[in-house]
Amino acid sequence: MKKALLITVIILFASCQEEGILTKEREKFVVNPDSELKYYGAFVPTSGILVTGDAKIYLENGQYKVVLDNFSISSGPDLKVYLSKANTPSDFINLGNLTNQTVYPIPNSVNVSNYSHVLIHCQQYNHLFAIAPLTQN
Amino acid sequence: MKKITLVLLISFFANKFCAQGCSDAGICSINQGFQSDAKQFKNRLEFATIYSLGEADLAYFSPYISYTKRFNDKFSFTSKITFSTANGSFGTRSQFGDAFVIGNYIFKEKKEKQWSVLLGFKFPFTASNLKINAYSLPLDYQSSLGTIDLFLGTNLNYKKWDFNGAFQIPIINLNKNSYFKEYGGTEDFPSTNLFDRKPDALLRATYSMKTSNLKFKFKPNVLFIYHLGEDSFENIFGQRENIKGSDGLTVNGNIITSYAVSKQSSLEFLLATPFVVRDFRPDGLTRSFVIGLQYLYSF
Repeated sequence: MKKALLITVIILFASCQEEGILTKEREKFVVNPDSELKYYGAFVPTSGILVTGDAKIYLENGQYKVVLDNFSISSGPDLKVYLSKANTPSDFINLGNLTNQTVYPIPNSVNVSNYSHVLIHCQQYNHLFAIAPLTQN
Repeated sequence: MKKITLVLLISFFANKFCAQGCSDAGICSINQGFQSDAKQFKNRLEFATIYSLGEADLAYFSPYISYTKRFNDKFSFTSKITFSTANGSFGTRSQFGDAFVIGNYIFKEKKEKQWSVLLGFKFPFTASNLKINAYSLPLDYQSSLGTIDLFLGTNLNYKKWDFNGAFQIPIINLNKNSYFKEYGGTEDFPSTNLFDRKPDALLRATYSMKTSNLKFKFKPNVLFIYHLGEDSFENIFGQRENIKGSDGLTVNGNIITSYAVSKQSSLEFLLATPFVVRDFRPDGLTRSFVIGLQYLYSF
């Protein structure tokens, strides 16, 4: 009886996850080869972080897009891609979770020329992982 | 009788698809600490399984375990651990929810009236930022709101009636949810990035009826929850934004049928549905229908 109760409790309380239609690997955004490169910069890590690659901003049919090129970074629990006005996450646009996507569209209402950096930031623990200062092409 | 059944059925189905119901195992079940007939026993264990339906295509399975220790005729202490599995278009996510500790003090009965008070806390097991495949999930899929809450409550028992009043106040916000509607792939759920939740106030009236052989007890009750302010979140521009319509009143109808298996144990069957809802319900506590089964064992 005790064993059956224990097994039932373990089954009831077992932690698990299973992907659904909205969390399956999504179609990757792409940048058209004809797009115009407007800004670029190499990622620099913060202390204890490994990062490689560049941040590039392309303009495609009136839509700006951040592209992470040849990019890899140390893993983190809640990494976000920020387009920022400084090298710290104080005034920024959150472009979403860092996933296997390499292209992050920028909302059309944004004046991209006001932003000087692309940041990779762990929101949950408020820890900055990497900084890419942008240079105009 | 047929008319009453018909009205109840119509009300139930009319509210089934767009409603907020009794939510987590927090404020909705807070009065349980007040109620126990088995006064000769010092300890009580509860095992509950609850199935409920939420926003969009969400379904929940939410078991919990609770232990109550009665120190004497006046003092008792309850601890509870909750768990939740949410299933919908984002997938299935299961996790422990919250731990509750609640102390209860019962005053001496006077002229058939008995007052009691409670003080309790809720501690979350998560920061409300569970993900699937690195995709952030709405609060509706989170097993906890990610807040440490204070409970303050009182109960008046008068003849066959119980009247509860309580506050559930978030005192420390640990919520790190990172869901944005803009990136979620659906319009079903609002943005709740770094969600900040306001307190709730509860009023409940319960009427208890027993069969002559004391085997069955019916406890229909009506539960009013007022959300005391608009919740807020941080938008994609890093600005805090109030969620208009997230404050206001929810009214739930609830019926509990209890069957005494023995002197020490009983089974409770719960049915609940909301009748009045808030305009906007970002906290993920939306339930259109709740059905539960609970086993209570005293020793």
